[in-house]
Parts: sequence; structure tokens; C-alpha cells
Amino acid sequence: MIIRYMEKYWYIAILAALFMVGEVSVDLYQPRMMEVIVDNGILGLNNGGVPDLSIVTSVGIKMILVVILGGLCGVLCGVFSNLCAQNFGNDIRKDCFRRIMHFSFSQTDKFSVGSLITRITSDVTQVQNMIQQLMRGFVRCMMFFIAGSIALVSLDADFRIVIAVSLPLILVEIGIVLWKANPLFDLLQRRLDRMNNVVQENIAGARVVKSFVQEEREEERFEKSNQDLMDTQRRVLVLIAMMRPVMNIILNIATVAIIQIGAFGVQAGRTAPGTVMAAVTYLTQILNGMMMLAMLFQNLTRGITSSKRLKEVLTSESEIRDGAGIPARAGTLEKKESGSDKEPAKKITAGSLRNENRGRVTFRNVSFSYPGHRTQVLHDICLDIAPGETLALIGETGCGKSSIVNLIPRFYDAAEGTVEVGGHDVREYKLEDLRSRIAIVLQKSELFSATIRENISIGRPDASEEEIREAARNAQAEEFILQQREGYDTFVAEAGMSLSGGQRQRVAISRALLKNADVLILDDATSALDFGTEAALQKKLREKYRDVTKIIIAQRIVSVQNADRIAVIDDGRILDCGTHDELMSRCPAYMAIYESQLGEGGAA
Amino acid sequence: MSQQGSGASSYKSTTVQRGFGRGPMAGRGAPVEKPKDRKKTLIRLLGYFLEFRGELAALMILVVVGVVGTVLAPRYQSSAIDAIVGKEFDAVPHFLLIMLAMYLLYGASMLAQGYLSAVLSQKMTGKIRSDLFSRIVYLPISYTDANSHGDLISRMTNDADNISNVISQSISSMFSGILTLIGTVMMMLWYNAALGLLTCSTVILTLIVTKILTKYMRRYYVRRQALLGSLNGTVEEMVTNCRTVTAYNLQDKVITDFVKTADDLTRTGIIAETIGGSMGPVMNMFNNVSFVVVAVFGAWFALQGYISVGVISAFIIYAKQFSRPINELAQLYGQILTALAGAERIFAVLDEAPEDLEGEKITEDAEGVIEFKNVNFSYVPGKQIISDFSLKIESGKKIALVGSTGSGKTTIINLLMRFYDIDSGEILLDGKNIRDLALKDLRNQIGIVLQDTVLFSDTVRANLTYAQPDISEQALENAVKRTRCDRVIRALADGYDTVLSGSGAGLSQGQRQLLAIGRAFLSHPQILILDEATSSVDTRTEKYIQDGMAQLMQGRTCLIIAHRLSTIRDADQIIVMDHGRIAESGSHEALLEKRGKYYDLYMTQFAGLAT
Repeated sequence: MIIRYMEKYWYIAILAALFMVGEVSVDLYQPRMMEVIVDNGILGLNNGGVPDLSIVTSVGIKMILVVILGGLCGVLCGVFSNLCAQNFGNDIRKDCFRRIMHFSFSQTDKFSVGSLITRITSDVTQVQNMIQQLMRGFVRCMMFFIAGSIALVSLDADFRIVIAVSLPLILVEIGIVLWKANPLFDLLQRRLDRMNNVVQENIAGARVVKSFVQEEREEERFEKSNQDLMDTQRRVLVLIAMMRPVMNIILNIATVAIIQIGAFGVQAGRTAPGTVMAAVTYLTQILNGMMMLAMLFQNLTRGITSSKRLKEVLTSESEIRDGAGIPARAGTLEKKESGSDKEPAKKITAGSLRNENRGRVTFRNVSFSYPGHRTQVLHDICLDIAPGETLALIGETGCGKSSIVNLIPRFYDAAEGTVEVGGHDVREYKLEDLRSRIAIVLQKSELFSATIRENISIGRPDASEEEIREAARNAQAEEFILQQREGYDTFVAEAGMSLSGGQRQRVAISRALLKNADVLILDDATSALDFGTEAALQKKLREKYRDVTKIIIAQRIVSVQNADRIAVIDDGRILDCGTHDELMSRCPAYMAIYESQLGEGGAA
Repeated sequence: MSQQGSGASSYKSTTVQRGFGRGPMAGRGAPVEKPKDRKKTLIRLLGYFLEFRGELAALMILVVVGVVGTVLAPRYQSSAIDAIVGKEFDAVPHFLLIMLAMYLLYGASMLAQGYLSAVLSQKMTGKIRSDLFSRIVYLPISYTDANSHGDLISRMTNDADNISNVISQSISSMFSGILTLIGTVMMMLWYNAALGLLTCSTVILTLIVTKILTKYMRRYYVRRQALLGSLNGTVEEMVTNCRTVTAYNLQDKVITDFVKTADDLTRTGIIAETIGGSMGPVMNMFNNVSFVVVAVFGAWFALQGYISVGVISAFIIYAKQFSRPINELAQLYGQILTALAGAERIFAVLDEAPEDLEGEKITEDAEGVIEFKNVNFSYVPGKQIISDFSLKIESGKKIALVGSTGSGKTTIINLLMRFYDIDSGEILLDGKNIRDLALKDLRNQIGIVLQDTVLFSDTVRANLTYAQPDISEQALENAVKRTRCDRVIRALADGYDTVLSGSGAGLSQGQRQLLAIGRAFLSHPQILILDEATSSVDTRTEKYIQDGMAQLMQGRTCLIIAHRLSTIRDADQIIVMDHGRIAESGSHEALLEKRGKYYDLYMTQFAGLAT
């Protein structure tokens, strides 16, 4: 699956491998030239022990040239392996991001946001590194290994015993270390998370710690997690630190064995002394190749885990797909015409017959359960919301209010029944068209690190300054925006930390108002506003957005009492639906909510 | 996504970035973050080392043993081979045994070094982390409010890890590198000063060339790092905000931006990594050139009769031995600088002034009379938040603070708790300026229930008995019943011993609030600060919370940031705040009659309900 991404770059990969072969060949050949310089040149072995300067210079120059060639090969190998691995990684990264951006909400839920982020950032890098190392390291190790083995086998047969014994030993050692280290890595991650958690809690909850005067206790708690982390980390470090020395010991014992075997061979006249020296060199090459392979292998396992995680993302198909599209009559083009027509009075007259239905939202016997969960969240919901109507949804947390509105822009699809917008099943629309007709303000105000102005105009980048300011004014946001250091140009820092909860909600509402949609959904989006601000906002909504269908989820009676209709939701069903007064006279559940928020007896 | 979640993910992204930086070839030429005051930080870090001088000394001895082993073993190896060449086969086992012993000595020393370095590095980072945490808990709130939490956490993890890595991986190679270097240079100069200087200068020349090259390369690494940062930022932001991206049809725009950054990153990355990867072959070339230079000059010297032939072959080995530790040390240098930069950031936190805990002890329970006298306060100079605020609260009275967001209600609480200190005026508790009281004693008198309920990842019991871990079971049961927490506890699988994971993320908002109320109740404060939650809780839980609150408030001086009409009406006094001043105060009825700000507020908010 992941390897498919290599297809585009296979020839580059082969070039990289070829240049690597060139570089290693020079690496293998160069010591021989050095030997000639030392033995024949400096020591003058063929010259009666007198140094031969001409050999030194001539072979020296040749050696420099060969080494330059080798270096060139190395550089080129680097160029090609980088071209290949980085483009490969980039392709995966882009594809992952594209996929994730088009994920349905249930897919995002399934993976969790945090895990998706790690996949795009660190997993892609892991896979990219794996490819790069495979190309460079694997070829290199294999060449050393193969060249060494061939050379050694062609020497005296007795040396093979040493290889036959030491090679499995090293393999066993690598196996043991990996087998022991892997569970430790997991443990290490968990302990690190725990320590982080303690720190995080203490920083975020500093007010609580201080007001309960529990600093010392928190220090103890931290000390415990710190100690645990240290212990695990030490075990990991020790294990890794052991690996190389143990390999070295095996290698050195093997060297001793080779020399001794060689000594016997020479004594018996089977082997020449030079062969023994060569055998030592080859053995070192083979075992070094092994060690490098072991390191590669360690990275390989990490890379394979990462590539599996990427594969999960890349093979996830969004189950929410575009519909065939609605004929242009009701499409976006016309909407823009009437949408830019801001004055409500005009809009009503201009709201010709063909547009009268555009804001209608209808639920027909809708049932829903979250994908992968068995419990049904919504049961047989029937609702018809007229254009321009304000419908409020009220009910306990988890009763299904958010689930109802999430079906309208097709964040999720209903299991049974149909949801219609403007008289058409939402599944008939192209997703983009559908969503451009709906402005939803989510429970958690998601702001981008951009200026306040950009955050507001995100749905309509072409909006004029006056339109932006009007939206902000209507959302009760202008006052605090102008108080910011740079007004609308104030940069909203990381996750909107610089703004309070209520301020963030108002920026998000401004954004939705500016979008000029047919349907406006506030999903508990005013919870952090104080009563006065919320009341002013609702007044604006009533006056200025008369044509827009408004669906408001809230917990507080004050937030919903002025709605045209209030639907009381309980356990995924609509208990009752009517005006505040109607519900007060007939719906016990509604009255209970009212009571609890008003205190016993009600206001005088 | 809760606060907790976003904090955790931002930590993740910082580690991820680190992961990126350690690309396959990032060792050489990778950007090195430079500490601002190298010397001072180093000296301070050495102070930590001194605490572990025993381990350090042992490590040094081991290094010396290891170096002796590596230096001697090849000699016996060549002796053994010479013996074979010279057909003195009886001597071979003898040399081999010594050689084996040397190698084993070396191996054992390496093993012990690895172990000791690991222990040392963990002890030291553990110590640094403890120190850091001890400082963090005592930092004033103004620090945690003003600084990014992710940044603080990254100091605790990444920066401390960098120090740990340097210690575990570099200290012994640094010792042995320096030892080998000194030994080699001395040997070379002892054999022949001229050839020795020549050898040293070729190696040093190589280093200078690489240094210059590295400087050019670093530019690309820095650029790559910046692009990487912005790419990771985009990913984190867009994936976290994916719901908004979807709702506003922003996918295509976001993807286009991402692709552009990703392509830029790849281009820069290819150049940076290629140059970085070329360093190896280039260095290799230079090393070989210097070998030839030494060989040519050596041969010439020998022909001139300055040196014997054997000396040249020794020099060739020394030249190699000389350049290896220098290369290693050059690489270590980068790592050490990075670690020092991390240490500097850690020390910066350690140098922050902690809260002043000193002051007059409070020996008995306070009466609970609070008085604000002409208090002025601003978070940022010039932006006055509280202006000339005066208020006296008698013992046992309930005060409701109302007013729009930003009117200064929360600030009043911050000031009373001394999370922030006032600019002028005074705040008195039982007639004593709170500035003169011991901070811990002051806070012990005050219980607090905040809007964002903070619970700890511990058992429910530990969370409830947070202020008094040794409380009796009876008292706990009693408190839990009174504050209506029993309902929450019964709903949990292991009752009191249920471990709340992720700071209580598995509990509903209402359950968390109830537990926070129980926790405050069990701390037996004389004064109570309540920040009524605005956010949504289901009706039944809401009722329990109100009951719990009522129990909690009984007989205590209460300062409530109120959002609910029932709370406001039940208060002894309502303070209407506006732009940091008291706009109005009085009882519900009196204020309604006055037809001022409170009346407006009431009419817009609650009047509709009453009819």
C-alpha cells in the first residue's frame, strides 16, 4: 500500500543504490592503495627497505582521484536518495492531509484528532526516514556483508567456523535486546505521559492547588511519577548502552579465534600469514555490517508500525459522499444574489416564490446512532422548521440535541428517515452546496491563528469591511474587539487563548452571521455569554436575520424562551414542542427545567 | 476537546518536531540552538554535576581503563601476527591471551560506562525535573497565566531530555576523546615535532574547511526547521478545527495552503539533507588527502634521514587516531550547545521569583470579615481593571457579584486569593492586611469552587480529601452526603477508589462540579468563593448542585460570581459591577426599586420568565 507511493520514484531509487555501490566500492578499494603506499612506498619492501617517493606520490595522487570519485558517488547517492525519500514522504503527507480534511465526523471521532495529527507529522517522517535508510544503509550494509563473506569463504575453510558461531550469537543478542526493549518503550511512553499529566494538571489547575495550599503534596505526587519515569528511562538507556559493548566483545573474541586458528593453519603450512590478516579485516567488515543492519532493523520496525498507521488513514473512504446536486434553480448562484442583498425589508419583497422554501428544514422519521455504537441516539424525530422560524432545542446533556443539528449539514448521516433542507433530501446536494447554505456555530468555538477579521470572514473572504463589522456588531462582538490592542487586526493566539470563552463564542457567531446562510444553527454556542449579552444577541437575530431559519440549542431557559417554538428533547425523542407559554402550561419536563433554573416558587 | 486535550497535543507536536529534526543525516550540520550566556549556564549545570561527583569520578576511571584497553590491544594483536609471520607459534597464544584480556577489559569498561552514564543521566535529569517542578508549583499565578503551558511542559520534557541525552551519550566519549587526543599529540610531538605539527595542522585544516561548509549548510536547516514548524502548526490547527473547516467548506483552501508549505518543505529539505549527507564523503576525502600529505612528507623526511621508516607508519596510525576524536568532539559540541540552551530555559524558570510565603501566621480560624479599601489594579500597566473598589463584607454574609463579562468580577477573586497583588489600596481579612499574612494561611481560610472544575488524575477519594488527606471515613461520608456527592460516587464503578483518568475527563460537567463542591466542603474554609458555572448541566444534576452549594455556603462568608437568579436573590447583598467599579449595591428588592443598572439587567434577563 505505502510502497505504491514509491512507484513514481523507482528509477531514482535505483540510481541512488547504484551510486551507493560506487561509494562503497571505493571504500573497499581505498585501504589496498593505502597498503601499497605504506608497504611499497614508505617501507620500501620491494626496494630493500628504502622509501620510494615516486610510488608514494603516484599512488597517492591516484588514491586522491579515486577517493574524490567515491565522494562524488556518495554525494550523488545522497541527492537521489533524498529526492526519492522526501518526495515520497511529501506525497504521502499531502494525501493523508487531503483525506483527513475530507473525513466525515465519525471518521475523525474514530481516529481522534490527536492521533491524526501524530500520523501526519511523525508517522510520515518515520516512514520517510525508513525509506531513506533502507536505500542508503541497507545497500551499504549488504555490500560490506556480502563482499566480506565472499572474501572470507574464499580463504581458508576453517575461518567459517568462527563466522558460524559468532553470527548467530550477535543475532541472538539483537533479538534479546529488541525483545526486552519494545515493552519498555511502551512503558516509557506511558510514564512520560503520566508525568506530563501531573505537570499539565498543576499548571492548568494552579489556582486550585494554591487555594487548597497543596503545593507540597503536588511535589510528592510529581516526585513519584518522576521517579517512575527515571527508573524506566534508566532501564531503556542501560539496555541500549549494553548492545554495542556486547557486540564488540563478541567481535573481539572472534578476532582472537581467527588469529589462533590462523596460527595453527600457518604452522601446518595450510595458510599464509597474509591470509590471517585479511581474514581479520573481513570478519570485522561482516560483523560491522551486521551491527549496522541491527540498527536499521530497529528503525525498520518503527517505520513499519508507522506505515500501518498511515495505511489506515489512506484507505479510509469517507462514507459521506457528494449527492448528485440540486438543479441550479435552487443552487448557490441565486443564493449569492439574494444573499448579498442585506436589507431585510428588501429581502422580503425580493424573496420571490421560488426562494420561499430555501430555509425550510424538515426531519422525517429520523433515527440515528453514531457509527460503531449500538445505542440509538435519536428515535423517530419528526420536525418541520419553517423558513425564518426560530426553533430552540432544550434538554439534558446527552439527550441528542447536538446529534439532531449535526444531521443537517451532513456531519453525520441519518440511519433511517430523511433530513431535508429547502425541500430536498440533504443527500441529494453536493456537500459544498449544502454546507454553504448552513451556518453552524459549534459548542467549542474553534478559532484559527489569524487576525480576528480573518477569523470572522473565513466563510466569505470577499466580504467588505462594513459587512464584517456589521456581523460582529450583531454578534455583540464589536465592543470587545475594538478594545483589543489592534482591534480587528488583533492576532488570535494559539487556540484563541488570548480571548475569553465568551469572546471566542462571539467571534464564532460573527463568523456564522457573516456567512449569509439560509439556516443558522447555534449549538450551545452562547453558554459563556452573560445574560445581557445573550439577550442583545437574540434581539439582533430576531430583527436583522428575519429570513434566516434559526435553530438554537441551549441549556438555559432564558436563552430559549423567546423562540417561536421550543422542542423539549429527552433521550433522543421530542417530548413536546411549542411556545414557552404553551410548554409552561402542559409540559412537565419543561416546567421542571424552568423550576430548577429559577429557584422555588418562580419570580414574583 | 477539553483544555487538557489541547495541552497534551501541543506537547506532542513539540516532540514531533524534535523527531523531524533528527532526520537520518541530521547529525552533522543540523542547526544548533545556541544558549545566550554559555559560560554562566555551563557553570550552573556543572553545579549539578558536582552533586554526583562520586559517579562522575568512577566514570572517569572507567574511561581511563577503557582507553588503556583500546590503545594496548592492537599492539598485542600485531605482536601475535608478527609471531605468526616469524613462525614463533608458541608465542601466539600468549599474545592472544593478553589481547583477549585487554579487549575484555575494554568491553567491561564500556559496559560499566554505559550503565553508569545511564544512572548518572537519570539521576541528574530527575533532580533537574524535581527542582523545576518545585519551582513551578510555587510560581505566582501571573506567570502561569502569562506563559504558554505547552512551553512550560516542553521545558520539563524536551529540554530536560536533551540534557539527559548529552550526559548518557556524550560524557564518556568526551572524556575518552580528550584523553586520546592529548595522548596522541604528545606521542607525535615526542617522535618528531615537525611531522607532528604537520599532521596536526592538516587535520585542523580539514576541520576549518568543514566548519565553513557547515555554516553555509546551516542556513538551509534553519529554513527547513521554520517550514517544518509552520507545517506542523497547520496540521495541528486544521485537524483540531476540522469541524469548522468542514462546516465552512474550507477544505480546498486549506489543502492548497498545506500542499504549498509541504512542497516548500520538501524542496528545502532535499537541499538541506543532501548537503548534510555530503559532509561524510567530503570529510572522508579530506582525511585521505591528509593521509597522502603525511605519507609524502614522511617518505621525504625519511629519505633525508630525519626519521626512521617505522616512525612514518606510526604517524599514519596516529593521524587517524587524532582526527577521530576531533570529529567526535565537533559533533558533541553541537549537542552540548543544544543541551545548554535547554538548560538555560530551565534555569530561566528556576530564576523566576516564587510567591512570597512569609508573613504573619494565622493560628485560629478567621472570623471572615473581608474589607476592600480603595483597591486599584491592572494586569497590564495602563489598562485599569479595578478602580477604587471599596467593599466590606461582614462575617457569614453572602455577597453576589453580578455584571457583564469583563467587568472585573473574576479579578476581585484573584486579588482576594492573592493570585495577583493589588497596585494600591488594601484588602483586609479580619482587619489585617492580607499582604502581611502568611500566604498559605490566608489561602487555607478560603475555599474556592471555580467555573472550570479542575480535578486531578487520582482516586475520587484523593480528590475529595484534597485539602485533608487524613480525614476520617465518617467525616468523609458525612460531607459527601451533605454536598450530594454520594450520587456521583455511587454511579462510579469503584466508588471512592475509582481513578479519574485524564483529569476527570470521563465525568460529566455536573459530576465534576459536585465533586469540586465536596472538595471545598471538606477543606472547612471560613470564607468561600464561588464562581457559578454558566455552562450547561442537566436539570436534575443542577438541582443537586444547588443543594450542595447551599450546604457549602451555610455559616460561611461567601463571595459569589453569580449567574443564576435564585443565587442572586438569596444573597445578602448584590454588587453590580461595571468596568471595575461598583455601579450599584443592595438587596434584590432595593435594587429593583432603584431602577438602575440592576433593574435593566433583570428586565432583559429574568422578567420574561416571571410572567
